[in-house]
Amino acid sequence: MTHFIALIIFSALVAVVFAALSSEHHDTPDRVKYGVKVFGSFVLIGLAIAWVLYPLPI
Amino acid sequence: MQSEGSSEKPLPAVASQIAPVSPARTAAATVASLVLPGLGHILLGRVVRGVVIFTSIAVMFVLGFWMKGHLYKPEMGEWLTYLFTFCNLGIGLPYFICYLLNFGFELAQNQAAVFTYEYGNTFLLVAGLLNYLAMLDAFDIAVGRKG
Repeated sequence: MTHFIALIIFSALVAVVFAALSSEHHDTPDRVKYGVKVFGSFVLIGLAIAWVLYPLPI
Repeated sequence: MQSEGSSEKPLPAVASQIAPVSPARTAAATVASLVLPGLGHILLGRVVRGVVIFTSIAVMFVLGFWMKGHLYKPEMGEWLTYLFTFCNLGIGLPYFICYLLNFGFELAQNQAAVFTYEYGNTFLLVAGLLNYLAMLDAFDIAVGRKG
């Protein structure tokens, strides 16, 4: 287990639940697209935050 | 001026599925959702959605322990434990089973030193929070706000 794998697993599981609960996406292809978008957003924003925080001495 | 074709847009197929159920069934589905993730959706006939929700939240809960996370219970003077307990409680019945078995609450020696420790805690907290969302979703379906 690495930090990145933890990020991927977390993003995937949350994206699946968000897609299942979405009220604006009514059929399966729409939900899958939304889930992929949520997953990508989590991963990219997580990497961006990590990149910004990396130089900080914390 | 209306945009071309806007009046011809078909209604989503789910529109026909939106119908409120009785107050008793609404209460049963909402409570069932809180007791076990996805159970409320299954009671309302959304079996696939219920199974998807259950599987995702259950995997998150199990992985939380696997990553050496732990559950919280309220501790006097530690106000954050009240917030974290609220989050953990969202998982429902599994929290109380762990409480009765005294499993997952105590920190083992060096457990907090494992680098996945905070990830594990986050997985356990978010599993509970996601189930609160699922419970609200089941309520919305039951009262006819969603399909």
